[in-house]
Amino acid sequence: MSEKVYNIDDLQNINVEGEKYIILQIGPSHPGSGHMRLKVWLDGDIIVKVDPDIGFVHRTSEWLSERREWIKAVPIVERIMLPDTVHANLAYVLTVEKLLGIEPPPRAQYLRSLVAEINRITSHLYGIGIFGIFLGSSTVYMWAFGDREPFIDLMEMLTGARITTSYIIPGGVRWDLPNGFKERAETVLQYMERRLKDYEDIWVKNPVVQARTINVGTLKKEDAIRLGVVGPNLRASGVYYDTRKHHPYAAYSNLDFEVPTMKNGDSYDRLLIRVEEIKQSIKLIRQILKDIPEGKIIADQIYNQLNPVMKKNYEEKKRVMFPAFMIHMRPPAGEASAKVEAGRGEIFFYIKSTGDKYPYRFRWVTPSFRNLPYFTHVTVGHRLADLPTIYGSIDYFPPEADR
Amino acid sequence: MGIIPLILWLIQDLLYIIIFPGLVTILVVVVIIIWLERKIAAKVQMRFGPLWVSKKIGGALQSLADLLRYSFQEVIIPEKTDKWAFILAPGLMFAFATIALIFIPVGPYYSVLFPSYYTILFSLALIIITPIFAITVGWASDNKFSFIGALREGFLLISYEIPFLLSVVSMVIIFHTYDYINAVQNQLSFLPGIILNPLAALTMLIVMIRTTGRFPFDITEADSELVMGLFTEYSALFFGVGMATPYVELYNFSLIFSLLFLGGWWPFTLNVMNPVYGLILPGIIVVVKAFIVMAVLVFLRAVYPRYRLDQAVRSGWSYVLLLSILSVILSVVEVMFLR
Repeated sequence: MSEKVYNIDDLQNINVEGEKYIILQIGPSHPGSGHMRLKVWLDGDIIVKVDPDIGFVHRTSEWLSERREWIKAVPIVERIMLPDTVHANLAYVLTVEKLLGIEPPPRAQYLRSLVAEINRITSHLYGIGIFGIFLGSSTVYMWAFGDREPFIDLMEMLTGARITTSYIIPGGVRWDLPNGFKERAETVLQYMERRLKDYEDIWVKNPVVQARTINVGTLKKEDAIRLGVVGPNLRASGVYYDTRKHHPYAAYSNLDFEVPTMKNGDSYDRLLIRVEEIKQSIKLIRQILKDIPEGKIIADQIYNQLNPVMKKNYEEKKRVMFPAFMIHMRPPAGEASAKVEAGRGEIFFYIKSTGDKYPYRFRWVTPSFRNLPYFTHVTVGHRLADLPTIYGSIDYFPPEADR
Repeated sequence: MGIIPLILWLIQDLLYIIIFPGLVTILVVVVIIIWLERKIAAKVQMRFGPLWVSKKIGGALQSLADLLRYSFQEVIIPEKTDKWAFILAPGLMFAFATIALIFIPVGPYYSVLFPSYYTILFSLALIIITPIFAITVGWASDNKFSFIGALREGFLLISYEIPFLLSVVSMVIIFHTYDYINAVQNQLSFLPGIILNPLAALTMLIVMIRTTGRFPFDITEADSELVMGLFTEYSALFFGVGMATPYVELYNFSLIFSLLFLGGWWPFTLNVMNPVYGLILPGIIVVVKAFIVMAVLVFLRAVYPRYRLDQAVRSGWSYVLLLSILSVILSVVEVMFLR
């Protein structure tokens, strides 16, 4: 591909001082950078070194959450991962539930999986759309963002909000399935299956896309494990690992689904795996809507805290109003951690409680941050035009990484 | 020649340059083609496209509104630029793209300034000058992104110029003339060029896409890598001119394509020396054909993303060059055996 072959291990040995290399500052205000800066050293058209400079959209989510009541961290963590809000919400709530010792009822577990899978589809469509515009295809960009809408409407029908749903609360979920949701969801899923064929025609099987992505930004299996990348990118490199399978949460232990993996780990595989995961999510949503058990949507411990008006509201509308317990919640002292497979990879939460009104230590790692090594290790030796390809294919979202 | 016929002759030429097929026609065609490009892409992409400016005719005046906006914006000239080159290069780029039209006849009795038997050569020479100013723009801007854009333009220019010239040469061999009018008359009496030499037509189409920066060869202004490519530092009218130039080039190329390959003013074969029958009616036919070619090319935006520089250069030196050489060979064979 290139005359000079730069190796990942030579990275440290290259002396980038002097005038031999062009230094490009891509970002922080650049159409191809997102909210970050990429400092790129170029030897002609070949990338010698990339130094990602992150932190431009750091929003102190941990600091803020340590100074608020426990329930108020839910909107904060949601706003960090805007295309993928439900998973941030879910991961936080799982950790708090471990501290509180509450187990949500089965129906709530299924509803959590349902909204998480809907959100995974919107997150992958977001990633595919951004990948499209990075390669210059405005069509795929518009299509993907347009096709998120039916799913976002589904989320709105289920949770009352389009993006920042705050749907999952300690002990269960806020709203029950509305009437007519199953029929509406089936229509949307059939629409998406039709659209996936269109995507294959214009994007996945497009000769220009294949020429641009195949063998570009390859990360081998052992390197992927060594660098600790997560999520669809890890599975594109051929590693069979999915938190939903290996450390099941919500209703995933009862659900039957496959974890697609690819072989090569190049940009094209990272595109394919997202399409495959959308198909799996569609299958999962069908399965959840078929199997969902009847019952309460909130754990008994929380239900008992509701006052009579709230209980009446719950019986009539199937909606949980927040009892005073939520704001005065004081989980017993201790530590807890939880893992969730979000759209872009694994979210890890660690919270330490001292039995106080506020969390004592609030720590979380987002998937985009763990996918950061792609910039430094995979881009080397490629051409400048491959940088957006790699960036788009790993579905990197700077606000999520900066937290 | 008396003074009055001379003045009339000059006025007639001026009208050719200014009204038809010159500047006014260019403006109208470019405005419509930009609008059409955005509308077609919007249709494919489930959007409306331009809508609010002149809502009754579907936003067709959007490009004019943009032009007005460019005209009244503040002109910003960065401090470290090469000022004369920075100011002059976009204008000269536009000028040479437009001047090439003088030598592209759209009717059997069309000549501006002087009748010539070498219009193909003249128009090609003028078209080939244009990219040099594009490189000047990139050099003068003192911006790394513009500079890389200019380098890319240079690479692509060199790799696609030869196929372009060879495809025209193969048509020159078939028609045995350097004049567009003779070439069209040849086609009217026999077959259109696209049937005589489809390889040359294909080469020409690829080169058209490349030279005018249509997708999938939108490499010099790849926005996710180079911000705005050559025109990163430009603002106001300079930017507008820079953006309009590829469309003028597209118009030129499409006119040449319809003259050399689509039979020019076929099916209009009336041979009368008269401004209406000699220029306007055949001219409209040629412009409509060129417009259809342009519409097809701008539709590619909705389908393809962009190639990488090395892929485009490699295909230029391999497939496209091979195709153009084959087209020359095909022409020679046809001339040897058919005539």
